[in-house]
Amino acid sequence: MSNPASINGGSAVAMVGKDCVAIACDLRLGNQSLGVANNFEKVFQFGHVFLGLTGLATDVITLNETFRFKTNLYKMREERDIEPETFANLVSTSLYEKRFGPYFVGPIVAGINSKTNQPFICSFDSIGCIDYSKDFAVVGTASDQLYGMCEGLYEPNLSPDDLFETISQALLNANDRDALSGWGAAVYIITKDKISKRYLKSRQD
Amino acid sequence: MAGLSFDNHQRNQFLSAKGFGSPKATSTGTTIVGVKFEGGVVIAADTRATSGPIVADKNCEKLHRLSPTIWCAGAGTAADTEMVTQLIGSNLELHAMSTERKPRVVTALTMLKQHLFKYQGHIGAYLIVGGVDPTGAHLFSIHAHGSTDIGFYQSLGSGSLAAMAVLESNWKEGLTKEEAMKLCTEAIEAGIWNDLGSGSNVDLCVMEVGKDAQLYRNYLKPNVREAKVKSYKFARGTTAVLKESIYNLVDIEETVVPMEVDTEA
Amino acid sequence: MSVTSAVSSDYNSGVSNVPIEHQFNPYSDNGGTVLGIAGEDFAILAGDTRHTTGYSINSRYEPKVFSVGDELLITANGFAADGDALVKRFRNQLKWYHFDHKKNLTIKSAARFIQHLLYGKRFFPYYVHTIIAGLDEEGKGAVYSFDPVGSYEREQCRAGGGAASLIMPFLDNQVNFKNQMDPDSNGTAKKELKYLKLDEVISLVRDAFSSATERHINVGDGLEILIVTKDGVRTEYYPLKKD
Repeated sequence: MSNPASINGGSAVAMVGKDCVAIACDLRLGNQSLGVANNFEKVFQFGHVFLGLTGLATDVITLNETFRFKTNLYKMREERDIEPETFANLVSTSLYEKRFGPYFVGPIVAGINSKTNQPFICSFDSIGCIDYSKDFAVVGTASDQLYGMCEGLYEPNLSPDDLFETISQALLNANDRDALSGWGAAVYIITKDKISKRYLKSRQD
Repeated sequence: MAGLSFDNHQRNQFLSAKGFGSPKATSTGTTIVGVKFEGGVVIAADTRATSGPIVADKNCEKLHRLSPTIWCAGAGTAADTEMVTQLIGSNLELHAMSTERKPRVVTALTMLKQHLFKYQGHIGAYLIVGGVDPTGAHLFSIHAHGSTDIGFYQSLGSGSLAAMAVLESNWKEGLTKEEAMKLCTEAIEAGIWNDLGSGSNVDLCVMEVGKDAQLYRNYLKPNVREAKVKSYKFARGTTAVLKESIYNLVDIEETVVPMEVDTEA
Repeated sequence: MSVTSAVSSDYNSGVSNVPIEHQFNPYSDNGGTVLGIAGEDFAILAGDTRHTTGYSINSRYEPKVFSVGDELLITANGFAADGDALVKRFRNQLKWYHFDHKKNLTIKSAARFIQHLLYGKRFFPYYVHTIIAGLDEEGKGAVYSFDPVGSYEREQCRAGGGAASLIMPFLDNQVNFKNQMDPDSNGTAKKELKYLKLDEVISLVRDAFSSATERHINVGDGLEILIVTKDGVRTEYYPLKKD
C-alpha cells in the first residue's frame, strides 16, 4: 500500500488471439480506499496502437499527453502512424529517461502491425524494461490476480469473440479480488480492420 | 532531451518522506555464466525475469549484443542491463567507425565500467562480457559499482553459487567448443533447478576467433508447461455487456481531379 | 548516560546519533500454497510440496497437508515451524478429546477449537494461514479457513499461502461461477450454481496449481491432494515443474 503506484488503484490486461489482440482496463480512480471516480479509463489510442496505463493517476495523465505529443510529431515526420513495436521502444526510452525519478506507472502496449498484420503485446516496469509476450500481459494493483486468471484461462488462437470472453472474465474476476480495482471495465477487441469497444457489467463495490 | 532527467526526483523524494516508498523494478534474479575455450568463448543465461516472488517474463533475453563479435550477459535490474548495454553497444559502433578498427572486448569493458562507476552503483547492472577481437578471445565480469574481473570462467546473479559449484567441479584447461557449451549449459541448469530467481530456458552465445558470434536462443527448453487438464473456453455471451461501439477501419483514397478551367472567358 | 553511539569507519564518515538496535526476527516465510474445496459429499485439501527460504529450496517433498483422523484434513501454511507446531498441538488435543469423550470430533468443533489455539497466541501469533476440510454432520463437504489469530469462516473454497492471490479469483470464477452469466439470457441471468463432481474439482485444482507454478517462484515440485469422502481419506500426488 505504501507505494505511489497503488494510491489511485487500477489494472489493465492485454491478450493475443488469432489475428487479433485485446486490451482491457478497469474504470476506478480512488484515493487509497475511497473510490473517487468510476469513469477513469486507462486505455489510450495512438493511431492503431493501444496503450494501457495504470499506476499513479497524475502520471497516467501526464504520460498519455506526452505520448500523444510524441506520436503526433512522429506522424508528421514519418507521414504514417506509429507501429506497435516502435511505440513500445518509445515508451521504454521515455520511461528510462526518468530512471532516477521515475513515473509510477505500469504500461502495456497492444496492437496489430499494419505492415505484417502480426499481433503485438508487451508490458513494462516503471523504468521501462520491456516484457515481450506471446500470450498475455498484465499490469496494475491486481496484477497478481490477473497472472493467476490469465495463466488459468488463456489458450492460444482464440477468435475475437472467444478472446473477448476470456479477457473479460480474467479482468472481472481479478478485479473482484482487488480492493483498489474495479468499478466497471472497458474492453477493446482489435482486428486488422475493426475495433470494438465494450463496457462490461461488473460489481460496484 | 538527451541524457537522464531528474524532473520527478524532488516530487518522489517528497512521496518517500510521506511514507510512499518506491515500486519494485523488474529484476533478472538470474543465473549467467561465461567459459573460455580453445579459440573462443561461450556465455549463457537462463530466461526468467522476476518482480518480487512473481515471474514477470518466462522467456526473456538476457544475452545482449555489444558488437557482432562481442556479447554480454546481464543480471540485476532488467531495465539497467538492457539500457546500459544498448548505450555502450551504440557507442562502440561509433568508436569502431571513427577508428576504422574492429571493436575490442577491452574497449567495451572499459566503456561499461567507466559508465557504471560514474553512477556509483545506482545503475544496477551486473554483466559478463565475452567476445573475440583481433587480439583473441576474452571473458570478463563487471559489477554495478564498476569493478571488473578476468577469468577462464565466470558466473553472476542470484544463481551464481549454484552455477559456480558446477564450474569449479567440472572446469578444466583446454576445453573444446563443445565441452565449453556443455559446461555452460550445465551451470545454467544448476541455477534453473536450484535457484528460485532463475528458471525456464537456457540461452547460449558462442564467439569463435575469426567468426561472427552464434546465438543459440533457447538452446535448451527443459521447462515447457504441460497441457492443462481442462479447457476454460467460455460460451459466447457469458460476460454481461453494458454498451458496445464498433469502429470499422477503412482506407480512404483521395484522388485529385484537375478541373477544366476556361481561361479565355 | 545517553544510549547513543557514534558510528564511523573508513567507508562511512557520517556520524549517527541514533542507538544501534539489534533484533531477533522469530518469523520466516517458507513459501508454498494450499487450497481447499468443499463438494456435495466430499472435500479436498491440496498443497504443493516445495519448502523454501529466500531463493533456496530446502525440500522438494515436504508435505504440509495432513490427515489427522476423524476424517479431518488440516494445513497451516506460511511459517513452517509454526504450522507444524499448530498441527502437532491439534493432533495431541484430538487424542485427549477421544480419551475424554469417546467420540469423534466434528469439523464444526474442530474449527472452534482451532480458533482458540490461534487466539491463545494473539500477541505472538502462529504465522500461518490455516485451512481445515472434512464432512459436516449431514455428510456435506466443509472447508473452514482461519486468519493467523483465529478469525474463521466456513466456505465453499479457499486458497491460502504465497500464491493465494493468483488462485483465489480463478476459484471464484470456476467453482462459484462468479461473473458468469447464462449465455442465453443476454446478460440478464446469472449462470446457475451447481456442485462440481470430484473429478472436475481435481482437474481444477491441478490446473490452478500448474498455473501458480508458472508465475510464482515459491510454488512447484509437487502437488499433494487429500480427499475426504464418506469412505475415508485418500491421497493423490501429481508432479509440478521444478524450476
